[in-house]
Amino acid sequence: MRKTLLALTLGLVTSTAFAAGEHGGSHAPAGDAEVDRTIRLEAGDMWFDAESLNVEPGHTIRFEITNTGHLAHEFVIGDAQAQEAHREMMQQMSGGHGGHGDHGGHDMAEGQHGGQMPAVNLAPGERATLVWTAPKNVDSLEYACNIPGHYESGMSGNIDLQG
Amino acid sequence: MPGSGVIHHPLTRRQILKGGAALGLGSAAALGVRPGWADPWGRTSVYAKGAEEGPEVALAIRREALPIDGQSARPMTINGTSPGPLIRLKEGQEAVLKVTNLLDEPTSIHWHGLILPPGMDGVPGVSFAGIAPGETFTYRFPVRQNGTYWYHSHSGLQEQLGHAGPLIIDAAEREPFRYDREHVLLLTDWTFEDPMSVFRNLKTAEGYYNAKERTVADFFADVREKGFAATAEMRSMWAKMRMSSRDIADVTGSTYSYLLNGHAPQENWTALFKRGERVRLRVINGSAMSYFDVRIPGLKMTVVAADGQPVQPVPVDEFRIAVAETYDVLVAPEDDTAYTIFAESMDRSGYARATLAPREGMSAELPERRAIADRGMEAMGAHGMAGMDHGTMAGMAGERSRMSANGMLAAGTAQPGSRFGQAGIGITPGERRTLVYGDLKAFTPWPDRRAPARELELHLTGNMERYIWSFDGKTFSEMTGPLHFHHGERLRLILINDTMMEHPIHLHGMWMELENGHGELIPRKHTLNVKPGERVSALITADAEGSWAFHCHLLYHMKAGMFRVVQVS
Repeated sequence: MRKTLLALTLGLVTSTAFAAGEHGGSHAPAGDAEVDRTIRLEAGDMWFDAESLNVEPGHTIRFEITNTGHLAHEFVIGDAQAQEAHREMMQQMSGGHGGHGDHGGHDMAEGQHGGQMPAVNLAPGERATLVWTAPKNVDSLEYACNIPGHYESGMSGNIDLQG
Repeated sequence: MPGSGVIHHPLTRRQILKGGAALGLGSAAALGVRPGWADPWGRTSVYAKGAEEGPEVALAIRREALPIDGQSARPMTINGTSPGPLIRLKEGQEAVLKVTNLLDEPTSIHWHGLILPPGMDGVPGVSFAGIAPGETFTYRFPVRQNGTYWYHSHSGLQEQLGHAGPLIIDAAEREPFRYDREHVLLLTDWTFEDPMSVFRNLKTAEGYYNAKERTVADFFADVREKGFAATAEMRSMWAKMRMSSRDIADVTGSTYSYLLNGHAPQENWTALFKRGERVRLRVINGSAMSYFDVRIPGLKMTVVAADGQPVQPVPVDEFRIAVAETYDVLVAPEDDTAYTIFAESMDRSGYARATLAPREGMSAELPERRAIADRGMEAMGAHGMAGMDHGTMAGMAGERSRMSANGMLAAGTAQPGSRFGQAGIGITPGERRTLVYGDLKAFTPWPDRRAPARELELHLTGNMERYIWSFDGKTFSEMTGPLHFHHGERLRLILINDTMMEHPIHLHGMWMELENGHGELIPRKHTLNVKPGERVSALITADAEGSWAFHCHLLYHMKAGMFRVVQVS
């Protein structure tokens, strides 16, 4: 169990490092020693529990996210505009017409964040970990699932970074 | 981001009036002429009048004077309003609905889309004897589902007189979406003519309500565009069909006022929101004859349920709602501004309209109306002619690989000849994102995962000139017996539309799982829109013993013979 978790964490180090860089974090987290806080989140159809978060600026957070729904979901952190841009891109990817067939597919979610936003994709039943350092220069961010229709149905929450 | 806090009201008017309800049937009538669920603040506010909360509800049916669209009218009312009050039940309840007939003719109420015992379904002559004048009939049934539904008279043409209302069932468990506020949007079509004269007009003069017949001028325009031979051929084709290519709807805005929650467009019924809220709109098409194309310019709508059943969310700009269907959509207005809820009738002869606004007294621009559509060759579909190769034949070869051992298509596969990727007549592909049946996908497979053991094929047929509508060429009065489903069987119903009009086909008592190509995740519906020339199929579990109505939900088509009884035994 412990090994699996560690493997998942390591697998995400690349995107985590990007994330830290993007938001001007002072250090790239390497292991548990540097994690200030662990937040467990459930991604369901169509919600996150919790519905909002308070995070200390500069803190390194380990998110442990479990997909308890029937559909694939993602967990992406970014500001509202970045989330919206990502959402629009995902919508276009799903085809011009309401996403015939595969809107909400897991494959589509893969690799679409291009390392710009810290993100994980979760198949139904899957659990993943994301380590992320909260930036010091913004007041609030959003976490969201931008698979077409998911955000609109309620899969988003506010991260309050005002300390 | 919106907070999801519920807005609390210290004491709702409904609570104050609860004692009042005990005063007797129809006490809501004293409160005003508008249905109470049309309260501008929607669900999180008070139901000022006319909302009836279950499990025990008393309803009184009357015929009385009530202005509609600013003119005097005599609709049928339910507890004093037309359309009737919103009935709100909860999944798991034992509903007790007492309906008192204060008319001078028999009446009934059918709970559209509800799975219930056959004796409680409310179809005179099929499920029960009807409710005689002066009598009270008590419907009792366990509420085994949730979502957005409606109810209406199943007696004669009473539905055309406003004898209908919304029926909302709150879910016992968490629904697959979040929202802060909800509004019900019930679309209806009202005529000041007597419904029987409307029917007589349809019977005696083809195209009576169609002011858009092709003219000599059109003919010459067509000749210029397509050449004489093509134009003449097109004309003769339509003549053979005994139809005009501009028959989009039989009954049109030339007699109808299109109403939203009982209000005409200029009355501008307003639904309120607070900025940043996620609002659920429960849209019900309770019309007798009218399909609508619904959009809210400036807002994306995310479709989250169809016919009361949750579907994987589909963000759209517009959706077509067939008669008797319901769709639930979520919208999230971010700006402090008004939005127009625009429901254009499919034939473009008129529209219903409301406003979604942060305050009362606001309005937004009305979108430009679209031109009347012309049914082109593509509408011919399975009729032979142009549709032959792109539909049935070419499709067959491709589908063969998906056939199971018994030679039938695998469960969930779309029929060759279906057009689930198209919204239908009058919608320009690519102009905006419009919902299509192919978008509808369930979250989880439905309980019965058996493959169908047999197929039952039915043709939707009609003669426009004589205004006869039927199944397999036979009207209800020409039929000698019911359609038979074996109790417990899993069957595939195939519907082939041989006519040039859309038909919303409704099965009572059992779900129809629409085979739109999504395999185990096909959506289930109570009403299926079958486009002209289209061939569609649905899987049915015949688990409801008894007799059930099965019909086209265009009221005058049903009246003209497009009705069958399904017997499950």
